[in-house]
Amino acid sequence: MLKTPVYRCSAVATGLKQLCFSSECGSCFLVLRSSRHGNRLLSMSSSVCGKALPRRNPREVVEINGLEKITYAERKHFVPGLTKPIFPPWERDHQNPFYYKSPKPEEMPLYKDKPCFVFHQRTNLMEGVKQTLWLTKSKLIKGIPAQIMALADNPANEIENQDDRVQNAIKHARFWDTTENVPPRERFCPTLLNSLLHLCGLQQFKHPALGKRLLCQKYSLAASWHRGEDLIQVRGKNGMLLNSMSPLPAMAEREEVLGTADSVLETFYPISPTIDLQNLNVFDAKTDTGFVEGYPYPHAHTLFFTHLKDGHHEQLRAKMVMYAFGNALARARALYGPEPQVLEKPVVVQSVATNGRLFQFLVFQLNTTDLTTDTGVKNLAWMDEDQALYDFAKVRPLIKKKVVQVPAGLAGYHPDTFKKLLAFYLHGAA
Amino acid sequence: MALSALSRALRSVSLTGGGRKQVPSQGLFCSVGVAERSRASQVSLLPSVSIAVSQWRGFLTTASLEQNRKFWKIREKYTIRPIGVKKTGGRDWTGRIRTHGIGGGHKQRYRMVDFQRLRYESGKEEPFEERIMEVRYDPCRSADIALVAGGNRKRWIIATENMEAGDLIKTSGVIGRMAVAAKEGDAHPLGALPVGTLINNLELLPGKGASAIRAAGTSGVLLRKVSGTAIVQLPSKHQVQVSETCVATVGRVSNIDHNKRIIGKAGRNRWLGIRPSSGLWQRKGGWAGRKIKPLPPMKIYVNQPSASART
Repeated sequence: MLKTPVYRCSAVATGLKQLCFSSECGSCFLVLRSSRHGNRLLSMSSSVCGKALPRRNPREVVEINGLEKITYAERKHFVPGLTKPIFPPWERDHQNPFYYKSPKPEEMPLYKDKPCFVFHQRTNLMEGVKQTLWLTKSKLIKGIPAQIMALADNPANEIENQDDRVQNAIKHARFWDTTENVPPRERFCPTLLNSLLHLCGLQQFKHPALGKRLLCQKYSLAASWHRGEDLIQVRGKNGMLLNSMSPLPAMAEREEVLGTADSVLETFYPISPTIDLQNLNVFDAKTDTGFVEGYPYPHAHTLFFTHLKDGHHEQLRAKMVMYAFGNALARARALYGPEPQVLEKPVVVQSVATNGRLFQFLVFQLNTTDLTTDTGVKNLAWMDEDQALYDFAKVRPLIKKKVVQVPAGLAGYHPDTFKKLLAFYLHGAA
Repeated sequence: MALSALSRALRSVSLTGGGRKQVPSQGLFCSVGVAERSRASQVSLLPSVSIAVSQWRGFLTTASLEQNRKFWKIREKYTIRPIGVKKTGGRDWTGRIRTHGIGGGHKQRYRMVDFQRLRYESGKEEPFEERIMEVRYDPCRSADIALVAGGNRKRWIIATENMEAGDLIKTSGVIGRMAVAAKEGDAHPLGALPVGTLINNLELLPGKGASAIRAAGTSGVLLRKVSGTAIVQLPSKHQVQVSETCVATVGRVSNIDHNKRIIGKAGRNRWLGIRPSSGLWQRKGGWAGRKIKPLPPMKIYVNQPSASART
């Protein structure tokens, strides 16, 4: 039995290939070791040199009722002729969070048959603000409301040395705040916003009502509503929220609010308005402001966003509208109950977003919580887009063709933008 | 690689330390089947083995060649996000060269192109429209691709010649009594299109997804319609007969100047991941020179009833 392979192997070196995969491979191995070990390449295994056979389909296993299979489970090693044992899947008898397996969505207690469309922090809406206007049943007005513009234009509200102090804040954020050459946007954007808010807060000696405010970070919001047949939800952590003890006054008069019933919501056929929202079957359709009941600062005043990406300003504005609406809706439900209605006193929430240079301003007025139909009173949103606080803040001058295009340092400061920010901050207190 | 070779060599050396110890170690590493089979001759065999056994072991102890075992393209859910591609260099799952002339090139990412144009959204089985959001280059094919959005979904499709962002394209599965006046980019079953239409992205089997006429600048012609089937001339002038329910897009595939681009230098082909062919001189044989071959007979992709069943 053993003799023939020996002859084959010693005669033809390449015979190894066929022999390794022949049915008698076991016996060949032994003999080969005795005869040809010296020629083997140690870093290679025979399985690498072997011919690549096509993958075989798994053999069909025939189950016969009443017949017990004899397996080699007791012997604990392979025995020819005996069946391969099939053991039940091993289950861990202790909890290990590294190997946690969640149950299937269908088996979770919060599973619902009808899905919910969820807007959260990482959602990028394809149609941007237009889509949010449909989702929140709102009408967009360009610019800032007259009440706030009056605050901004009033010289009595100005801070002492306002322009110098604001420029110092910008220089602090863009140049002086780091030991490195250039601070990244992740650093200078929040720094600038915090210093500007600090400047605004210094006005408390003129307007004592500013003391009844609280800035809050990392609160979690949830607001859900029906729009047509779809259930839509805004939830999760978002920007910094400035809470206040007193609510903001309504921006639009009663007649103007009732006049919004004539405006028509823009649709974007063939795209569905719920495109890009996360479609979830496991959800909790709750409405929650993120604060406990009896919290001493119950009214949302302004929502601040820092935008750390280049571009994507349309997505940022969409986020501002959605979260301002979510805050307003949650607070309206807390005040007036969950029944859909046209609100006696509209809820107003402001929102300011910045990427460290450009500012976006939004005032959202929630007039109605009856959002199911497209008809009737709409909500109102005032928006002021892409207001630059300054044009350039260069650590090194921008030189093209040996001509200095932009000098180093701060250039092109726009004082109006900070005036608007200050007016947003003072609104409701001055 | 060198390190693993060295460590393997060292391991095999350590196994064969003393003369006496070889026998149990050999028994341990010998496969069980071998031990069973050669049990009868073990007594006479083992002494000779113990002398001969030196520096190699019969099977691989480390996992190697695993780099292409998991295919990067396997994915259950459709996404428009580009997926990172692992280059194979033309190697198959065993690590052997399956296709010559592939290797290197710029890093590419794969965008899942939906070739089944008539894919209804769940629960809506009627003709639908979509809007083109973007037309862009795709590294994985010669034609351009277009991002289309309609309903609650977005998907990539192969762009046709004059597609632009903002266009509306229609997809329908209806075969009416009259031929439709289709505009470029629309997708219809072949039975609904007038004879002589230029088409692309042709399905050879209904519902399978487009598998013909997808390269840049190509188009086929709907030649005639015969009793529930349609005959199409492919860009290669071959003719195929397919079912009239096969969906095709109207028009010509984008990037029509693809065949006019100038590669310019050998290195640009390397950027594209194409390796030079072998430099071995081979005498020109019958393959060289002008050939005039008759077209092959029409290929039929429909199950026609047999002649006996028809009579």
